[in-house]
Amino acid sequence: MDIGVLIQILVWGIYAGCIYILLAIGLNLIFGVMKVVNFAHGELLMLGAYAAFWIYTFSSINPYLIVPLSMLLIAILGIFIERLCFRPIMGTGKLNEIFLSLGLIYLFQNLVAFLWSTNSRYIRSPYGEVVVHIGAIKLPLDYLIIIIVTIVFLIAFQLFMKKTTTGRAMRATSQNREAAALMGINVERMDMLSFALGSALAAAAGSLWLISGQMANPYMGAIPAIKAFAVVIIGGLGSIPGAIIAGMTLGIAENVVPYFMQALVAVFGYEMSFTGWKDTIAFLILIIVLILRPTGIFGERGE
Amino acid sequence: MKLGRLSIKAYLGIVSLILAVLIPLILGISHYLLTVLILMLVFIMYASAWNLLALSGQGSLGHAAFFGIGGYTSAIIANSLGISPFATILAGGFFAAFIGVLIGLTCVRLREWFLAMVTFGFAIIVHTVTTELSWLTGGWDGIPAKKLIPVTIPNYILYEYYLVLLITVIVIAIIYLIMKSKIGLALEAIRENELEAKVMGINVTKYKLMAFAVSAFFTGIAGALEIHHFGYITPEVYGIDISFWPIIYCISGGLLTIEGPILGTILITLLDESLKNFGWTYERYILIGLILILVVRFLPKGFVSIPEKIKSKLRSHS
Repeated sequence: MDIGVLIQILVWGIYAGCIYILLAIGLNLIFGVMKVVNFAHGELLMLGAYAAFWIYTFSSINPYLIVPLSMLLIAILGIFIERLCFRPIMGTGKLNEIFLSLGLIYLFQNLVAFLWSTNSRYIRSPYGEVVVHIGAIKLPLDYLIIIIVTIVFLIAFQLFMKKTTTGRAMRATSQNREAAALMGINVERMDMLSFALGSALAAAAGSLWLISGQMANPYMGAIPAIKAFAVVIIGGLGSIPGAIIAGMTLGIAENVVPYFMQALVAVFGYEMSFTGWKDTIAFLILIIVLILRPTGIFGERGE
Repeated sequence: MKLGRLSIKAYLGIVSLILAVLIPLILGISHYLLTVLILMLVFIMYASAWNLLALSGQGSLGHAAFFGIGGYTSAIIANSLGISPFATILAGGFFAAFIGVLIGLTCVRLREWFLAMVTFGFAIIVHTVTTELSWLTGGWDGIPAKKLIPVTIPNYILYEYYLVLLITVIVIAIIYLIMKSKIGLALEAIRENELEAKVMGINVTKYKLMAFAVSAFFTGIAGALEIHHFGYITPEVYGIDISFWPIIYCISGGLLTIEGPILGTILITLLDESLKNFGWTYERYILIGLILILVVRFLPKGFVSIPEKIKSKLRSHS
């Protein structure tokens, strides 16, 4: 086993973890405030990636500058989704919310396929060829940028939730909706804001995913969404620190475990690749956690 | 009044059954038509099985896993042992039920969202496992499956149709009996309030697992029937849309009723097929997605509640 390769794989894991964290935090925020799980969150990631792709195609400015624009567009879309779909059915049963997001998945995937075909789209990042050498370790610059951007987003998000009045109002709403309303907080505006913010984070994940060399297609949202759900479950529904720890763990585990398995099998003289089992590993971790703790590791609030 | 409505329902059921038997005689033996009808029947079974699980308050988003497991099990056994698909379809159902119990064991303690996420993820995992175990499953290319009725027999599609119709009627009857029995009542009690059900002495875990097993069993049978009808199976049976179809059928028809999934499957399939002939591809999925959203939003009890809605509207006007 090569330590240099291992560290490289570790960085890949952190990079994948960043995408999952961005998605999971959005899901957690929406759940905290509205007590709604949006299963179409992966489709917001997909739409964010497409928004970035089209803006880039028509303007060809530095793709990283497009990320905020794509976030804004998808945030507006999120507000519409909240207004037209989730708000009217709030409180009519959890299954209804699940079914409604199912309809949204269907709608968005096929709308995109209809408008822009199912061809894979990609952006050539200006730093695509740049590789940072740290000793013997080679890291693509794009991955480093994404890790840094995610950390910046997380700090900004935390500051917003802790220091600003709006952030405090959102936290109050997620702790106790009725009490918050009685204190004069406009809880419906908080719903709207949380959905917009969650959608924007999903769009950020999608655009960054695309810029770092991943393909965009109408069905790209499903797998990252599943991972984000796993992160949310492992980290505990509604827990932001839980999501960060779980997202990192998952991202690293699903990249490192196949490598270890390959090394293990090599000891016995076999040559096998386990990269196809990545998604299975995420799911196995999820199952084990759920058997041990049905509310997730950091989730203590029984709903 | 109540009795009269019930008998109308039973009457409608008998009429539609007679119609189903007579359709090939009325419209002639068309390969296309019978294929559409066979798939419709398979999906009626599938949707009804999904509905049974929903009755216990467990909304699965990954039932394609059981559909595909039933299909692959049946195809692999039939191919390797060289026996007739009639026996292996049952094996497919039983293996799907076995996996269903395993997944159920992790799911029984979970809340709705977690359960939906776990089942959604499970379908994707089964997809990965199937493509990776290519020595057994043929990987992405899939494997051939024996036809239910040998193609060499003249009008084989007609026999296939009646066979699937017979199995569907049996499956629906069993599901109906379960829903009307004590088990059905227990499942409903669990859905309404799990804690109260527990207090009343209902073994919640046992009934939830039972719902998982029975639902997965019939889903597996439906999956096996479908692939033996097509004559091949590929990992596409695990597609997200295969998981979503029964939900769309049940919701649009009417959740938690026996006639809802049947009505929903027939109406949505007819819509889908006619739009397909229209040359629409993605447009019809967009439309179906929209229908799903609109039904959840404005008609939460599905199409079966339309007569009642009209009735109460008329009553309030007069």
